[in-house]
Amino acid sequence: MQRLLDFIEQNLYIILFAVLQLVSAFLIFGMNHYQQAAFSNSLATVTSELNQMSSNVTSYIGLKDQNALLQEQVSDQFRTSSLGQVLYLRDTFQVKDSVGRILFDMTPAQVVYNTSYKANNVFVVNKGLEDGVRKNMGVISSQGLAGIVLNSNRKYSTVMSLLNTNMTVIPNINGQEYYTKLIWDNIYPNSMAIKGINKLEKIEVGDLIQTGKSSLLFPEGIPIGRVTSLEEIPNSQYFKIRIETSTNFRKLDYVYVIENKDGNLIEPLLEE
Amino acid sequence: MRRIIYWIFILALQVFVLNHLDISIYLVPQVFIILLIGLRLDISRMLQILIAFGVGLLIDFFTSTPGINASASLWLMVLRMAFLDRQDLKEHIANKQPYSLKVAGTPYLYTVSVLVVFYHLYIFWMESIGAIHWGKLLSTTLISSVLALTIISILEYISLSSSE
Repeated sequence: MQRLLDFIEQNLYIILFAVLQLVSAFLIFGMNHYQQAAFSNSLATVTSELNQMSSNVTSYIGLKDQNALLQEQVSDQFRTSSLGQVLYLRDTFQVKDSVGRILFDMTPAQVVYNTSYKANNVFVVNKGLEDGVRKNMGVISSQGLAGIVLNSNRKYSTVMSLLNTNMTVIPNINGQEYYTKLIWDNIYPNSMAIKGINKLEKIEVGDLIQTGKSSLLFPEGIPIGRVTSLEEIPNSQYFKIRIETSTNFRKLDYVYVIENKDGNLIEPLLEE
Repeated sequence: MRRIIYWIFILALQVFVLNHLDISIYLVPQVFIILLIGLRLDISRMLQILIAFGVGLLIDFFTSTPGINASASLWLMVLRMAFLDRQDLKEHIANKQPYSLKVAGTPYLYTVSVLVVFYHLYIFWMESIGAIHWGKLLSTTLISSVLALTIISILEYISLSSSE
């Protein structure tokens, strides 16, 4: 303790020096107009650079949040289904059943080309054969079903959009599958029609349409859209239903390509 | 008494003559710092710091540059302490002698030279802070330092002659 006190006593002049330097700095930058302006200017420059750095860092953190949000949205899609859990890996993530068996691999991809105003719309994603993306794989967005892979080369894949007259998806409304088709009639953007559903069915505006068990390409419970109108056709026993797609195809940036891990085992059984 | 007159003379020379030299914008010699460099060797470090601050502030008062000479004088005094710590001056400290050419010999010459150049560089840098032109800064420092060292040499010579 005595040593410490001696040390402080011996170096007290340094404290005095520092205090008087602070007083000098206050006088220089407080009472000299030129130095004051230069100091304010430097401070503004430093502050703006710090703000820029801060912005860069927060936007990077923001990207991470965006990614987490997308993953959360995908997880939500599976939460109501019979599937057990979603396991995130580095670039892909896996959907497992309740006993931990891998059911689907999901590979994130970026949409590099997209149309949504034609009779037969397609989009192109930046993942191809090298990434394990092949023909007839399902594609979903963070919002819902997006399409089916038509063709792949080394780096890219063409995907048939849900907004395509050749697309065949069997809708599951309120937990019940209807063996009819979603029809892209190119009347309204992101809007499709369903015909052939009997008027006796209990369907209301706002009901959610999802994928069911009749497809091997998509997990069960992927949102397709919501019923926006129910039109009763005179002299017909069927509704004409309009739905709004869950996926906004006019703003499609990122999708997930789905691979059914057991697809090649199940398909031969169905063909027998 | 003689010492006080010497201080007043040097300060008056600085404030009323050297600060008003209109020969060139590059000629602003700061000769008064010889008072700080030549302080008595037995003075405590705390007092050295206080004297440096006081003298710097006094010069600032006459040059309307609040804080600049005070800050520079404080740095000068700390540097002086560092230089003097490396010189063998124990006998002269005991004799309470001022730091001078007669006392320290050759080390005094480079100590004064370095401190004079440092002081000029610091104040010209502070005066042009925010819009520094290095060429002008270095040439002003060099020319003013050479002139200051010349005047200091003359003063030292007069001082030595009169003491003999």
